Amino acid sequence: MGRYVLTRVLQGLLTLWLVTVAVFFLVRLTGNPIHFMISPDATPADRQRLIEYYGFDKSYWEQYINYNKNFLKGEFGESLRWDSRDGFEVFVDRLPATIQLTLAAMFFSIIVGVTLGVLSATNPDSLFDRVSKVVAILGQSMPVFWVGILMILVFAVYFNVLPAGGSIERLGWKAIVLPAVTLGWLFVAAHMRIVRSSMIEVLDSEYIKMIRAKGLPRRMVIWKHALKNASIPIFTLFMVNFAQLISGAVVTETIFSWPGIGRLLVDSIFVRDFAVAQTVVFFGAGFIVAINLTVDIIYGLLDPRIRVAQ
Amino acid sequence: MAIAGEQEFGGDPPVAPTSPAARVQSLLAAASSVRSAMRGVPKFSFFYLIVIIIATLFAPLIAPFDPIKTAPTNILAEPAWGQHLLGTDHLGRDILSRMIYGARISVIVGFMAVVISGVLGTLIALASGVARGWIDTLLMRLTDGFLALPYLMVAVTVIAILGAGLWNVILVIALLRWMTYARIIRGEVLSLMQMDYIRLARVAGASNLRIIFRHVAPNIINTLLVLATLEVGLAIIAEASLSYLGLGIPRPQPSWGTMLAESQEWVFVAWWLPMVPGVAITLLVMSFNLMGDWLRDRTDPTRRQL
Repeated sequence: MGRYVLTRVLQGLLTLWLVTVAVFFLVRLTGNPIHFMISPDATPADRQRLIEYYGFDKSYWEQYINYNKNFLKGEFGESLRWDSRDGFEVFVDRLPATIQLTLAAMFFSIIVGVTLGVLSATNPDSLFDRVSKVVAILGQSMPVFWVGILMILVFAVYFNVLPAGGSIERLGWKAIVLPAVTLGWLFVAAHMRIVRSSMIEVLDSEYIKMIRAKGLPRRMVIWKHALKNASIPIFTLFMVNFAQLISGAVVTETIFSWPGIGRLLVDSIFVRDFAVAQTVVFFGAGFIVAINLTVDIIYGLLDPRIRVAQ
Repeated sequence: MAIAGEQEFGGDPPVAPTSPAARVQSLLAAASSVRSAMRGVPKFSFFYLIVIIIATLFAPLIAPFDPIKTAPTNILAEPAWGQHLLGTDHLGRDILSRMIYGARISVIVGFMAVVISGVLGTLIALASGVARGWIDTLLMRLTDGFLALPYLMVAVTVIAILGAGLWNVILVIALLRWMTYARIIRGEVLSLMQMDYIRLARVAGASNLRIIFRHVAPNIINTLLVLATLEVGLAIIAEASLSYLGLGIPRPQPSWGTMLAESQEWVFVAWWLPMVPGVAITLLVMSFNLMGDWLRDRTDPTRRQL
């Protein structure tokens, strides 16, 4: 088991290292990034000063060593936009908003996905089953940003009950409803499907038939015994999707002007603030690697066959 | 397909029929073989895709107006018969014409991104499934690494650096989406390599390349086709998302994603601005998904219900 965990951790670190290499070279791929950072009518002297300041006049090799040195010191480069603060500090400021949003979105998609999944598994060919099928097809086909605009159209314009955008600080808890539903919608279909299929499998098993025969109320059989036993694949998918939510947050935060890291990334890119963009991408990848690692390790603990296969 | 049908039904060799009666018969036979090939196809999706493809091919002939010509005196006109069927946007441009031209972008991006990522993923899968050993380990670790990337974040950053544009969008989507092919097709290749006929081919002295092209490739085409059809929808959504963020196809070229992005500002006064492109994208992605499901059921005998 120790060996298994160790290889997994090393693989995770390797992935992160690949991300930093990729970002380093991409930023330099199209020539000198200074041309993006400075306005086109800056004087040559200013330009030169900035090039030296950021070290772009050195060889790629030296630049790469410096990059790694700063990286180990925990410095991600000065932000151009936020008064030369370190990219990391800017990132940390915006992180809580994204955590709130992804947790709320996950909560929404789990509640709706599990409910629809269980109801359609226990009532096959019923109205629920048909509704869930439509939800599954639509969930895969509707782009997040259109769902967001539809939410705004219905709840902010037509019924005028929820704000079309803004942060919790300014507008209170109401502000999180539309962004969370929009982001969570992305995974309602996936959650519903896996709950449905694992429930159908479990409901068919001998021990469920047994407790049913013993006369346990149907509600208890379904929600307590069956759901509990169906929950391992469901839980794995939840974790994997939770990691994916970070990517979806880029679009959702832009739609609703949500002050999280996704919007920070898009804003930074438009003003060519690469120090901040780099930090966001790095921690985004780090988050996904960490979650995948956790899932792998938990899975390895639960199922010895996986450990051996590696 | 048509030729096979002719042989099956008429028994004639596939040469041009001479008498009118024979010609009619062979046409009927061809039609019936097409019908049997298309059995159970999701009809709505199929026709919607045909409409979109026609719009893509003949956009300049069909579009009633110039898609980028503005009309400051006729902004935000509601959809109406006669004038602007789907209304006009905030610059007075005809939405129907923009939709028709925008379909081109979605179809080109969806198609090209899937072709490039499919080829890339398949090559990686073949290399790693046939060669095994350290090549396999290396390629699969690379695949895992790419799977751990925050997809949209990387796409946004890379496009910001490379610059927006049709080909950059296609390449970025393709380079971030080949992993599905690599993983699934590698699995198929591994199980194929255990088959007796491939072992025998190896014993008979066939080279790796010959085994790949002669024995493995024909057996993975079906899976590849199904995967590609399902991935087209994801590529279309990715293009629209990038365009929505302002990093896709540069304005004023019409892309459905850009149209949605522009619509958000006017959502309080003009409901048709987001509804038209949104419904069109959803239906397009849904059609590809349903076609993919249908193809999968057709090509996999264990899932086929006749």
